[in-house]
Amino acid sequence: MIAVEALEKRFGRQQALDRVDFSVPQGEIFGFVGPNGAGKTSTIRILATLALADAGSATVGGIPVAEDPHGVRELVGYMPDFFGVYDRLTSLEYLEFYAACHGVARRRRRRVAQELLELVDLGERASDQVDTLSRGMKQRLGLARALVHDPSVLLLDEPASGLDPRARIEMRELVRELRRMGKTILVSSHILPELEELCTWVGFIDAGRMVAVGPMADIRERAAGRRLRVELADPSEAALAAAGAAIEGRSGVIGVTRVEGGLEVAVETGFGDQDLLRHLVRRRIAVRAFAPAMGGLADAFMRLTGPGQET
Amino acid sequence: MSLRERAGSAFDNPLIVKDAVSRMRSWRAPLVITLYLGLLGSFGYAIYAVTLLLSSSQRAGSAQIGASVFQALAFFQVALIALFAPGLAAGAISGERERQTFDVLLVSRITALGIVWGKLVASVAYVLLLVLTALPLFAAVFLFGGIDFEQFVVTQVLTVLTAVTIASTSLFLSAAFRRSLPATVTSYAAAFGGMVGTSVAGALLTFVAVQRSGGNDVHPLLFINPLYALQVVLNNPNGAPVATSRLLQLLVLGSGPARTGGPVLEPWQGTMMVEVVLIVAAVTGAVLLVRGRRPPRRPRREPALEGEREAAT
Repeated sequence: MIAVEALEKRFGRQQALDRVDFSVPQGEIFGFVGPNGAGKTSTIRILATLALADAGSATVGGIPVAEDPHGVRELVGYMPDFFGVYDRLTSLEYLEFYAACHGVARRRRRRVAQELLELVDLGERASDQVDTLSRGMKQRLGLARALVHDPSVLLLDEPASGLDPRARIEMRELVRELRRMGKTILVSSHILPELEELCTWVGFIDAGRMVAVGPMADIRERAAGRRLRVELADPSEAALAAAGAAIEGRSGVIGVTRVEGGLEVAVETGFGDQDLLRHLVRRRIAVRAFAPAMGGLADAFMRLTGPGQET
Repeated sequence: MSLRERAGSAFDNPLIVKDAVSRMRSWRAPLVITLYLGLLGSFGYAIYAVTLLLSSSQRAGSAQIGASVFQALAFFQVALIALFAPGLAAGAISGERERQTFDVLLVSRITALGIVWGKLVASVAYVLLLVLTALPLFAAVFLFGGIDFEQFVVTQVLTVLTAVTIASTSLFLSAAFRRSLPATVTSYAAAFGGMVGTSVAGALLTFVAVQRSGGNDVHPLLFINPLYALQVVLNNPNGAPVATSRLLQLLVLGSGPARTGGPVLEPWQGTMMVEVVLIVAAVTGAVLLVRGRRPPRRPRREPALEGEREAAT
């Protein structure tokens, strides 16, 4: 749905984007992760038709951003990292105004605005003036604003920035709901736990260069290697040692390390997990839990953007 | 689309409605109207009282009182409009940037012309409201006599057109500057230059022109000054027409006998023509500046021919 190829952007002598490549399949939530100044906002502004790349190409829904910005604007809902609201307008009027700006027919504007206020749980604040809403409410209203023309792609630049934990959770649930509605969503953030549970795809950008892109599970695995976590019914030292000895040396096993409450087994790609479980059971080792060990997104980011790492 | 539908769609601009609603809900809207009418009414009454005092000694009739008060009110109204209009329009576009709402407007379907047009109409509409609220005051003075209907209409049209010119120029400066403060300061400077600067420079150049070529025609710079146009409309029932060839001669401070060729222009006609040109130029400039905030559209690339593709690889 979104395809970015060899995108480059310079601001004076600073290279903001250096051959950035990634794509986002339809219906996915793409977490665009990187530190401040990494190039997230520059990329999003190019996709939102607000800036032009110096080189490379970007398409949304197959429409080239630089060549048909009007077509792209029909497909894209954009929520900037910082946005203001108009004074002395109610939430309903605010959304009706943007619906009019996006060419929504006059007879449909009120209904669209009311439905969106319900969607973002602001139905009861419809007649409240926008500047009296809390930060979290304004963010949700901003998201509703990005939806007034029913876009199929949402570009959300740091949507949870400055929100309290409750507002962040509400925003996360809202983004999930939008995915269920069939939207393709690109969310940028430098707060990794925020994206960890939300995104299905992830792309890491650092100093203007893409470091890694792919489905969330693949990225975690790529960063941390494939690992299995084995917990025993008897967590004694002797039982753990016996289990470790039984696992080590098997074909496809790279290494075994003791972790709190069990063992973590590093295995090669394509290793048969079920064979290892069957082997342990045959050796009469009582296994309480056996599952892939999931590395954190933060861990993956640190490994992939550490010194010496290249795309 | 019929002409009526076209005219209707020009005013079906979300920015006009939004700005009007937002402005009229603020405490400033009624305050400005009250202040404007209060100043105009007080000034009018002061002129009336002074004229009454003077006329009792000179035994002048009500027509003279009406003409004096109307003239004073018309000048004062243009001065007040020049004071209010920059403040209303100079923050229209730069304010969107400062409020961080401009990008969101740019990614919508609304065009650059739509943004500038909406902002201009929203600003001018409020100035027009001020002019409209003052109409009963002018109508009351009109009852004294001394002013004919044509003078009344030309005065009001000149006032409105001057307001639109100042608002358009301020809007252009609002698009040119990123922040409202410099936009407002330069807008007031431009309004001051248009009102006072052209009067002073026009008077000086008229003096020089008269020294060089004789006659009593004014320099064309005064023709772009709405205050001079008002003064001629209200004081000289026969007008002060000047041939365009003479205007051109004066413009370059040419010497020799006065030329008489070409169509004849009244100062108010000259002022209105110049103001229309300024409005068109300012709006066009503002549209180009707003359009410049959006990246230009690249021409669609034609798919490369097979041979070219191979050659490239």
